[in-house]
Amino acid sequence: MKSLPRLGYGLGLRPVYYDEILSTRPPVDWFEIISENYMIPGGRPLAMLERFRADYPIVMHGVSMSLASTDPLDLDYLKALKTLADSIEPAWVSDHLAWTGVHGRNLHDLLPIPYTREALNHVVERISRVQDILKRRLVVENASTYVTFTQSEMPEWEFVARMAERADCLLLLDVNNVFVSGFNHGFDIDAFIEAVPADRVAQFHMAGHTDNETHLIDTHDQPIREEVWTLYERARRRFGDVSVMIERDDNFPPFSELLGELQRMRDIDAAIAADASRSAA
Amino acid sequence: MKLAELQSLFQAAVLTGDAEDGALLDVVAPPREADRPTMMGVYVNAYRLRLAEFLDEDFPALRVLLGDDDFEALVEAYIDENPSRLRNARWYATRLPEFMRESENWSANALAIGLALFERALTDAYDAADAPALSIETLAEFSPQDWPRLGFTFHPSLRLIEVAAGVLDAYAAATADEQDEERADEEDEGALEDRPSDASESETIAIWRADLDPAYRQLDPDEYLALFEAMAGQSFGDICQLVAFQNEGQSATERLARFLVTWFSEGLVIGVAEAK
Repeated sequence: MKSLPRLGYGLGLRPVYYDEILSTRPPVDWFEIISENYMIPGGRPLAMLERFRADYPIVMHGVSMSLASTDPLDLDYLKALKTLADSIEPAWVSDHLAWTGVHGRNLHDLLPIPYTREALNHVVERISRVQDILKRRLVVENASTYVTFTQSEMPEWEFVARMAERADCLLLLDVNNVFVSGFNHGFDIDAFIEAVPADRVAQFHMAGHTDNETHLIDTHDQPIREEVWTLYERARRRFGDVSVMIERDDNFPPFSELLGELQRMRDIDAAIAADASRSAA
Repeated sequence: MKLAELQSLFQAAVLTGDAEDGALLDVVAPPREADRPTMMGVYVNAYRLRLAEFLDEDFPALRVLLGDDDFEALVEAYIDENPSRLRNARWYATRLPEFMRESENWSANALAIGLALFERALTDAYDAADAPALSIETLAEFSPQDWPRLGFTFHPSLRLIEVAAGVLDAYAAATADEQDEERADEEDEGALEDRPSDASESETIAIWRADLDPAYRQLDPDEYLALFEAMAGQSFGDICQLVAFQNEGQSATERLARFLVTWFSEGLVIGVAEAK
């Protein structure tokens, strides 16, 4: 399988940090954008994106593809997405294993699916069509979920693994989402990490969540929690040096705080590499 | 239950705000610790919060003008009656001024509707299509006898609005409440300097993007009419005939020429061509 480039350690490109990134040139290897924020006619967002693109690899991460919806694929959306991709030449394009609405409505949220053979066939067929339209392999992310359905016929990780193989797509493993969904539904997060096919994982997401005691919500407005760091280390040992980035979408801290989290990743990865060297010796 | 049926049921529960819909909860598996309505409530609450955020982002001054309670009532009413059909959330809030005009609760508040129109124009100017502006020297390419036949094309961000008098003052007051008071004060002063002094029941405003930031200027009625006609494709000569300028003892041609110089200097003109 043709693999995607290893981009290293990235951050979400958010307007609140534009000036600081341009003026300080921080040690960030790449940036991920929310595709829809740049699917606009013109102005400052696209001008800034062009400037960042000149200096950094960019990945396009969408929230509106609605891969699992039973509505028809939105061809106008895909055309606009392809236009943006053709223009900025991202390292890859990703979206979620989720749906956002039916009957022409959009709830602007990543909604859960039952893990059934019917849903699997449906999603596989749509990913294949999207890949044909975009003329590139799609990278699909596991979403955080708050409900599961009684008719599910397989665990989420089996669904994800079979989807990736059958659609011949790649995976964005959101480590925080595995933790959040595992906590909410009581599944074995290590089993998830072990079941996902290693050769399909192109990227990790890391993020913070909100702890409501009985359940967790994937809010992207907190520092990464300790339990997620632990899971990150497990994921890193299994999947190797795939590209990783931190999603921070609200309650924005000083940029240095995010750089600190990136450094912690580098430190964890260096320790894993040192372990591997010792074992080899 | 088929996937399509499940998605219809799920969406209906979110849209109606019913996290305890029995038919849906029957197919939701028991969560680890929380109860099922609590977990469905995550989706129900997120839906309304997210849509409210889109409106908040686009209409910050309207919130200040109305006050939190009235603004939030407006947002709730808008969300109830405007489920999104848009793929990109950027345009979810865009119909708010029309919604206010059509709504019994808001249609009489001309100042609020005007401020909503103004803030929408600022948002639209921010990410309107790009186009390089022409310099005034472009006009040198045409001989004076050709001027009456010249037509102009304007920057895609340019919007003209006619709103209730007081909208710009309300905007200035609202933005002065923001943290960056010093900067807002400077902008207010600039805007006030440009404002015509005659009292009237409405004000006319041009909104556009200068470089990468939205800009605006109140227009006197003559300039508003001239720019309106020019944007509609009328030639320089036709506008002179259509618009009977009354002020300052200048000829229509002189006044229109002055306006044109201003429009060029503000980067509003992107095309000049002789009408056939």
